[in-house]
Amino acid sequence: MKTERLKKSSFHLPGRPARVPALDREQWIALGFMVPLLLFVVLFILVPVLGTLVDSFFLDVTYLPKRFLGLENYGWLLRDPGFWQSVRFTCLFVVVSVPLEIALGLMIALVLNEQLPMRGLLRACVLIPWAIPAAVSGRVFELIYNYSFGAANYLFRVLHLTERPVNWLGSEAGAFLALVVADSWKTTPFAAIILLAGLSSIPDDLYRQAKVDRATFIQRFSRITLPLLKPVLIVTLLFRTIDALRVFDVIYVLTGGGPGGTTTSLSLFGYHYFSAGDFGYGSAVSVILFLLAFALSIIYVKLGHFEREVS
Amino acid sequence: MPKRIAWLVLLAVLSAVCCCGPEKDAVVFSVGGAPAELAFWEELIRDFEKQSGIPVELLRQPTDTDQRRQGLVVALSASKSNPDVFLLDVAWLGLFTASEWLEPLGSDIDQSPFFARVLQLVDIHQGKLMALPVYLDGGLLYYRKDLFEQFDLPGPPRTWEQLLSYARTVQSKMRKTNPDFYGFVWQGAQYEGLICNFLEFAGSNGGFINQGDRICLNTLKNRRALAFMHDLIRTHGISPPSTYTEMKEEETRTYFQSGNALFERNWPYAWALHQGPESGVRGKIGVAPLPALKDGESVSTLGGWHIGISKFSDVKPRALKLVEFITSYETQKKLLLHLGWNPGRKDLYSDPEVLEVAPHLRQLRAVFQNARPRPILPYYTQISEIVQPRINGVLAGKYAPEEALAAAEQEIATLLERYDTK
Amino acid sequence: MKEERLKKILLALGALLTVLFCLSPFFYMALTGLSLHPDFLLPDRPLCITLSHFHTVVASDSVHFVAFLRNSLIISTASAVICVFIASLAAYAITRLPVPGKVFLMFLVLAVSMFPPVSLVSYLFKLMSALGWINTYQGLIFPYVAWTLPLSLWILISYFAQVPKDLDRAGLIDGCSRLQILVKIIFPVAAPGIFSTMLLAFVFAFNEFLFALMLTTDHSARTVPVGIALFEGLYGQIPWGEIMAATTITTIPVVILTLMFQRRIIQGLTRGAVKG
Repeated sequence: MKTERLKKSSFHLPGRPARVPALDREQWIALGFMVPLLLFVVLFILVPVLGTLVDSFFLDVTYLPKRFLGLENYGWLLRDPGFWQSVRFTCLFVVVSVPLEIALGLMIALVLNEQLPMRGLLRACVLIPWAIPAAVSGRVFELIYNYSFGAANYLFRVLHLTERPVNWLGSEAGAFLALVVADSWKTTPFAAIILLAGLSSIPDDLYRQAKVDRATFIQRFSRITLPLLKPVLIVTLLFRTIDALRVFDVIYVLTGGGPGGTTTSLSLFGYHYFSAGDFGYGSAVSVILFLLAFALSIIYVKLGHFEREVS
Repeated sequence: MPKRIAWLVLLAVLSAVCCCGPEKDAVVFSVGGAPAELAFWEELIRDFEKQSGIPVELLRQPTDTDQRRQGLVVALSASKSNPDVFLLDVAWLGLFTASEWLEPLGSDIDQSPFFARVLQLVDIHQGKLMALPVYLDGGLLYYRKDLFEQFDLPGPPRTWEQLLSYARTVQSKMRKTNPDFYGFVWQGAQYEGLICNFLEFAGSNGGFINQGDRICLNTLKNRRALAFMHDLIRTHGISPPSTYTEMKEEETRTYFQSGNALFERNWPYAWALHQGPESGVRGKIGVAPLPALKDGESVSTLGGWHIGISKFSDVKPRALKLVEFITSYETQKKLLLHLGWNPGRKDLYSDPEVLEVAPHLRQLRAVFQNARPRPILPYYTQISEIVQPRINGVLAGKYAPEEALAAAEQEIATLLERYDTK
Repeated sequence: MKEERLKKILLALGALLTVLFCLSPFFYMALTGLSLHPDFLLPDRPLCITLSHFHTVVASDSVHFVAFLRNSLIISTASAVICVFIASLAAYAITRLPVPGKVFLMFLVLAVSMFPPVSLVSYLFKLMSALGWINTYQGLIFPYVAWTLPLSLWILISYFAQVPKDLDRAGLIDGCSRLQILVKIIFPVAAPGIFSTMLLAFVFAFNEFLFALMLTTDHSARTVPVGIALFEGLYGQIPWGEIMAATTITTIPVVILTLMFQRRIIQGLTRGAVKG
């Protein structure tokens, strides 16, 4: 970085000494171009996040005087069974839904990567679930899971899978499964599109050569596709993990955290406290979620080799 | 050049900030409800504007009580003068008075037309009148008169045990022709209404027991009530399995209204709709106080909405005019006749025109008058959010009653400890 | 040969399943919107097709659906346009100019895009109510611009990096300022990329839920996702027919958009995530 800048400035002003603490004209212009972006990011993202962090050190309940607590909110959180319940649910949700989405996405990507008639149309179909707001598709799934007349129980009845209708949103396992399916439906397309990009960058020659060597489809997949797809696979995995970690919309609409609070994600848990006017405690929950996501995003940056991209 | 852009952006932000707080002289009034109710409120407000010359701006919120509370809590905790006047659920009064968000209505208001007990329990805080009831609610039992005659049952059940036995008899006979028929529908979804139902099952000595600085929940009465609720769905099968996933007021109402249930627990608003032109049970229903426990009295949870003025309002005298208008005899009568809202004023309960439309009011006046409020506590919402999933979990078969109540009691104790102002 | 045949069958099956997986909920949704009663799947219930739900949703003022749609379109379009303009300024600087602390800034922006929305919503709420921006367009547009900036920036960088730097040099020789170069030279050349980015920013703003839920309290200021999540019937019951009519109407423009610009959206998405 530094050397690059020095090289540039020496190109413009050959006589100038190498170490210049002050910014030159070009750098000022560059900063000027960055200012609007930084202004927005700082004002509407960084300041609120820092504000939340500060709030989390206070007892900030609407009807009580604001009082500094230090780390006490976190202490209470660690002893709060509701918090652990939501941690458990969130982790389980990530662990189940993300691999499922990636596996399904990979299958779809493999299909889309082939020469098919109407490939454009097919790709557009895949995009539609991604482009619909999760809250909107959540309501569609709410209807699908309806106990008395939803499509899920219709299918089960027609296929003779169960004798009695399944109370999807009424049992812990049913609600969990319902959420995973609804979320996968919405996010699999994203995974598929990203993986498709990775697939299409694998040179065809490799496959041709493999065919000459009479490798089977499975061999080709495990020896060529998977290894070459690994970087993209990891990026998709992390992207989806961070996204699944902060899941909110679909749960808010579909189960509201029920039954018996078993499907409350960390985001929803924090939101409940905000909406009840307990800002300090809710902030502490958000900070923990934030730290989790932040740790993952650092891994992402490291694995994604973005340094190369920048310089 | 880029610097200029930066300044422009900054300027735009600043100017937007500055011109966005215009001096208002309209009273901002926050109401919530189903679209048809909101449309009626709009009509009422237009009348008020014509009468008084005071402009009013409506803030329209959904029916969902939690959404409405959140909307108000966030505005008021930011000390915003918007809204100036709002409707409050009876369960929020503890929070709103403790947060000092309500402007006392003053001593000029004539309190005599209102139910003194309700004012005393809910609206008067440290001797000052903070809000006025717009609409009183209490849980009621709706039943199918036609089926009672058909199966030769005596009058409405007095005890829960009676209700159970009637429901079982009728359900088993009705099932032969109607597989969707259930004996009893009530509100078991995870939301505030579940607490109201629970308190009614728990009876006059059950529910939240305040013991000094502790709140007791794990009592014999409460355990029995929870076990009974659980059994209604799971052992006796007289309440549908969707009770604890879907059943809120409107789901129960439509279920009963389509003719698929013998009993229904609901608020008084359901009466007008059950008797409406599109109802499948029109003219076939009766209404009674809720049953009691064998050795107790019938209990109905006090619900309903009150009206108050924000402490941060900058148009308080005008706001007071609006409050007086909404709690006036004429407006309350209109609300009753159009929305089926039981007036907060007792003088309406003897109005002949009202009794003609809603004859049940005469006999149910006592129910509303004696309805039991939920604990008036600033942290009631949090308590409710602790208890709701536990009770709902019992209905879902996830916890035993004792386990759920003990856990909830423990969590409430922790909450109080956390909020303790040292 | 046998393997070729098998592969063809598998592919056709895969394509069919993919389409079924992606589209069947939409058919069910549209059908429920059109059906008089939502329980038409039950054995002995007839399917009566009617447009009455669509009519209620569009024509009845008290349902506010038209307001939701208008708010969403205005807010998402405005945020997409503002966001892409600001992001292209920054992307230009990053690809062409010596930005001090470039790596740090890039990482900052990237990290920001990973923040969970719930960790800023309460403070954002306090900020917006202090500004009096609850229930206003700008109250959502500003956070949405900030929220979509990181992604837009990354996508635009990859597009701008492909525009030959000779063009800038030519512009500079002609006496253009950097801003003029961006607007007059880069924008036309990178127009497809800018358009893709705008589409993505639009979709992101259109889909956002939590901010809209917290930062609006009045029906007439809600956006489509929140409006539909809190949708009620005229008397409060869950009006499945009307909800599904509303979701169908919401879906139509999205479907048209994706059908028309499928290639652009996919390109943008891929660049945002994998870097070309």
